[in-house]
Amino acid sequence: MKASNLAAVPPRPLHVCETKSGEFITLRDVYKSYGENLVVMDHLDLDMRADDRLVIIGPSGSGKSTLLRVMMGLESIQGGTIRFQGKPYIDGNARGKGKPMDCSLQTQVGMVFQHYTLFPHLSVLGNLILAPMKVHGLSKTQATEKAQALLARLGLESKLNVYPSQLSGGQKQRVAIARALMLEPKLMLFDEVTSALDPEMVIEVQNVMLQLAEQKMAMIIVTHDMHFARHIATRVVFCANGKVVEQGHPDQLFTQPREPRTREFLEKVLHLD
Amino acid sequence: MNYQFDFNFLNGNFGLLWDGLKVTLQLALVSNIVGLVLGFGLCLLTLSRWFFLRWPAQLFIEFFRCTPVLLQIVWFFYCVPMLFDVFIDPITMGVLALGLNLTAFNAEAYRAGVQAVPREHLDACVALGLRPWQRTLYVILPQALRSAVPVLMTNGISILQQSALVAIVAVADLMYVGKSIATEAYRPLETYSLIALIYFALSLPIAQFVQWLERRQDAALAR
Amino acid sequence: MNLDFTVVFSYWQALLQGLALTLAFTVGCAILGSLCGFLLSLLRASRSRWLSVPAGLYVELFRGTPLLIQLFWVFFCFPVVFGIDVPPYVSVLLALTLYMTAITSETFRGALKSIPGEQHDACVALGLASWNKTIFVVFPQALLRGIPPLLSNVVSLFKESALISSVGIADLMFVGQNISNSTARPVEFLSAVAVIYFLVAFPLTRLVGVIETRMLRRYAY
Repeated sequence: MKASNLAAVPPRPLHVCETKSGEFITLRDVYKSYGENLVVMDHLDLDMRADDRLVIIGPSGSGKSTLLRVMMGLESIQGGTIRFQGKPYIDGNARGKGKPMDCSLQTQVGMVFQHYTLFPHLSVLGNLILAPMKVHGLSKTQATEKAQALLARLGLESKLNVYPSQLSGGQKQRVAIARALMLEPKLMLFDEVTSALDPEMVIEVQNVMLQLAEQKMAMIIVTHDMHFARHIATRVVFCANGKVVEQGHPDQLFTQPREPRTREFLEKVLHLD
Repeated sequence: MNYQFDFNFLNGNFGLLWDGLKVTLQLALVSNIVGLVLGFGLCLLTLSRWFFLRWPAQLFIEFFRCTPVLLQIVWFFYCVPMLFDVFIDPITMGVLALGLNLTAFNAEAYRAGVQAVPREHLDACVALGLRPWQRTLYVILPQALRSAVPVLMTNGISILQQSALVAIVAVADLMYVGKSIATEAYRPLETYSLIALIYFALSLPIAQFVQWLERRQDAALAR
Repeated sequence: MNLDFTVVFSYWQALLQGLALTLAFTVGCAILGSLCGFLLSLLRASRSRWLSVPAGLYVELFRGTPLLIQLFWVFFCFPVVFGIDVPPYVSVLLALTLYMTAITSETFRGALKSIPGEQHDACVALGLASWNKTIFVVFPQALLRGIPPLLSNVVSLFKESALISSVGIADLMFVGQNISNSTARPVEFLSAVAVIYFLVAFPLTRLVGVIETRMLRRYAY
């Protein structure tokens, strides 16, 4: 994986941001609060297409990670609806309980976390084949073959029987991505996956994400790395106070933000680059 | 279960039970004071720079932690008078045995507290120009004590339970009194249940307090 | 006063038999107690209040009362309550097991709580249902994390077992006291017994520390 692979990323399709016909994911009026005072998602609307790579940026506590967790079914919403692949996915009213209603849809979402969360008592192979075997009924041979192929694509085939405690942070994160990919998801969620890594290891993980982008994987990424966001995103979404303040093509949003709030945030963040 | 519960026999024995309880409380409280103070001193010895101070202190701790409390109590009661040719009254002897035992456990608790202070704080002290004794007094000690308090209190309750063992060497504590009453009145069920309840009532509030304290400390750390 | 420690060696057989009995009770009650303690911790973690509250009460009761009273209660009150004749060995086994159950359930509970929350998140992300999650992810990690404190509990039980001498069981403590009484040499024999307890408990305690650092660092973090 070399830096030159950055050039191999397909040109980002220029599309109109205010598209209302999101055939892939549609969030409408989504509301979530912790108690009375902490509103994390404030009647949020968002659309996503199947070839989109959304990067969500914004100040801490603006609901970015919560959005990912809600999509994964880790947290519930208290209002609004979410549709996924044209079907109802999450319903925020009491009947829907605010979590994914369709397990088969939920399995098509994969998530990678900030702190790897590999299972420490299993080897890399064990981590990769557990879910395919137990959830999707693959045989051990099938799952192992698949795991070996996947690890080879990520350059980690020598780590098959190694335990997570013996891996570096970057390697752990790449294994975590592989583990999610084993289930062939239609959507990948990346929750600040490079924030906890040393700088030298950040690039190896980002290269894997770019490789996935090459393969047209739909993804929603939460990151603080604006440089990377600009490279990988088809659309950047700026969230603050639980609402989408502004969204647009990365080139447009980073150079000529329309909203003052966006401008304020970018000034604080980008001048560090 | 064919058993007639009869608590009447206790009527005449309240005085005895109260005396026994007083002895138990005395043992528990004084041993705790001894254990808290000496434990701290012992901890300082184990952290000392000098090998000939560290080693005996560590040996003391390991010996008291790796042998049964009952054995320690019995050893004190039978061997100390013989070895040193002195007579010490039973309650003081009990306090000594329990107190030294608690000293060893508390020394470990203090030590864990000191070692839990993050390395960064020590570095920060050097960076701020604090002298070693200032660092110890103003930074290490407060934090070490705060994290050690739950363990110290748990050890304290544990010594309350262990104090029942002095009954075996005929010290007239609550357990001993209970045993005598139970044997004389042929009513082990009521007596022992009552004694157990008294010990439970003594330790439960403190145990709950420790749990509350630990929850508060965890919450503080999480922030 | 003359101290003669060589007399201890002429009684080594009796002392060894006492030690054997102590170890037998320790190991037996440790195994039984750990199994029951694990089941109890499952009850405590249950959603139903009917299960978790009594289980919690059990633990508080056995941790909040002296082991001596528990022993006496089982020894003297059980036959009365249940109307059957309980042999001394069984009483002692029962008392120690009940105590160990309470202690180990707390250990397992601590081990379960120490598993980071993100592990549960990862299971949701992978679609692992609760049954699979419990068997393949939660249980192995709880077991690994629980082994060092569990071994500490066993060492504690080894020391606490000295209490059974008070109801006439011929364990190491009882034998030592007997001999010291009959030879009127408490210093020599009680010290010898102390050394024997120490020689068993101390290496085990050190071993627990080693296991904790080496095994856990590899498989649990």
